[in-house]
Amino acid sequence: MNTLASAITEAVEAVRAQFTGHPVEVVPDGTGGVFVTVEDVSVGPSYAPAVTWLGFQISAAYPDADVYPHYVGPLSRTDGQSHGPAVQSTGWRGQPALQISRRSNRRDAIVDSAALKAERIRRWLADQ
Amino acid sequence: MARRPVNPPAEGWSLTIPHRLWTELSAHLFPSGGGAVLLAGHAEGARGPRLLAYDLITATNDTDYIPGEYGHRALAPSFVRDAAVRARDESAAYLAVHAHGGLDRVRFSSVDTASHERGYPALRQITGQTVGGLVLTPHAAAGDLWLADGSRTPLAETVIPGGNLLRLRPCPATATPAGPDHDRQARLLGDVGQETLNRLRVAVVGLGGVGSILVEELARLGVGTLVLIDDDTIEATNLPRLVAAGKDDIGLLKTDLAARNAQRANPRIRLIPKATRVEHPEALKELALCDWIFLAADSASARHWVNATVQQFLIPAVQVGVKIPVDSAGYVGQIHTATRIMLPGDGCLWCNRLIDSTQLAIDMHPKAERDAARYVPGVPAPSVITLNTLAAAEALNHFVLAATGLHDDDHDHAAVIHRPRTRQRDLQDPRQDANCRWCTPAGRLGRGDSGSVVQTATL
Ligand SMILES: [Zn+2]
Ligand SMILES: [Zn+2]
Repeated sequence: MNTLASAITEAVEAVRAQFTGHPVEVVPDGTGGVFVTVEDVSVGPSYAPAVTWLGFQISAAYPDADVYPHYVGPLSRTDGQSHGPAVQSTGWRGQPALQISRRSNRRDAIVDSAALKAERIRRWLADQ
Repeated sequence: MARRPVNPPAEGWSLTIPHRLWTELSAHLFPSGGGAVLLAGHAEGARGPRLLAYDLITATNDTDYIPGEYGHRALAPSFVRDAAVRARDESAAYLAVHAHGGLDRVRFSSVDTASHERGYPALRQITGQTVGGLVLTPHAAAGDLWLADGSRTPLAETVIPGGNLLRLRPCPATATPAGPDHDRQARLLGDVGQETLNRLRVAVVGLGGVGSILVEELARLGVGTLVLIDDDTIEATNLPRLVAAGKDDIGLLKTDLAARNAQRANPRIRLIPKATRVEHPEALKELALCDWIFLAADSASARHWVNATVQQFLIPAVQVGVKIPVDSAGYVGQIHTATRIMLPGDGCLWCNRLIDSTQLAIDMHPKAERDAARYVPGVPAPSVITLNTLAAAEALNHFVLAATGLHDDDHDHAAVIHRPRTRQRDLQDPRQDANCRWCTPAGRLGRGDSGSVVQTATL
């Protein structure tokens, strides 16, 4: 049953627009939502590698539900330090990943849309 | 005021009107006798198709509701046209409403029927939707529906989920005497009240400490059909709080234990167990066919999906929760139990900040990733059978009195908060956000299948 709420289809389109030029993989999550992976995302010179994938789930409860947490491919810091708070090693969909746990307090469905939040997460990680 | 007749659920087409719309409609119709149009969504029901009123357009006397050519008063052509355009654009049923004198009985006059025959075929053609008339007294309702498929059918009942769960018919139902088993109970609820319980289809979401008690008592009360939803299995630490559970039951599905208990309490009960999470499409489909939902699962996703079902399908629910704050040093805060009445169109769990959107995102993760996604791992919350019982009893008593029309006040739907440590019992009125996307006409209220909870569009 590959059917999706229109809110999710629209959110996916917005993610593609936000990350124009990047391959975006969309896989149904089995309960009416999707797993989204954006490829070739730049996380800046603080990390090796400096480019990785960014993944997240847009669940069937979106936009009522936040998009949380986010995942990127395994990264190490170029300054040799360990990762700070809200970044931890885990797995996502059967592959090693870093989990980024940034909740949207007093969430606004427009400001905290899947696309805008994904870009904010990318920038936040690059700034750490 | 004379006691309103209690009508058991009827077979056939029904109309459900949210309590707040009914209050507004009643003020407009009784006793002055105005006219109005209800816009309604559609859904399947356990006893027949349902119309779900979500918005009311009242006709201003003298301009929109004018002396008719054939007698009485009639809706002005411009008013009818505007309402019909909305019905067409919103894929909604169009129901023209007026009132008659009298109390317990109502029927269309020959003037009414003639005007339906003159007007509704064309209106149905214009809207492409079900159209019809509804005539009301404060205690009775009759409807004449002209269905989109070209047929015509009477409305079997009009349901108003408020402080009482009202069911209006053209004339009062006659009761079949309650069996001897329920004689003592029927002395309060009446034979019609007992029959009402038997014809209701009630869901219990979450079959843990609270849900287990709910199921036992609902079955013993004589509720005819129970939908049981929980994907969990029984663990040793659950045994002290599950009715009639023993060591052999460890590893058993909670739906199996609940079904066994319900069957023992009432061998004639009809059971629909769903050992899935509530957001599973099969569980949501069963929920949408219920007359009442008990929400006894304490997860953000259970809250969200039940809230969505309540608003979109106009099904009343009660949320039952127990909060026992104990910090890591062992300090015990204010214990409270909450029994929240969830009426469609009258404030919802989102409006009352009772769902955390991040928690909801985590709950929607696949099981394997849910714990890691939590970041700060959870510790098991305290749980005590006596506190569960307190909350469950409040919810069950509310349900029985509402279903049989015994609450003093049709409008009262305040939450009940018990604080057992200080022996307080407080009432809390729910609040509503003006443009809530669930519980207002601007949102999914009453949209039924046309905006199904699992609203689908092919990827
Ligand atoms: Zn009339
Ligand atoms: Zn609301």
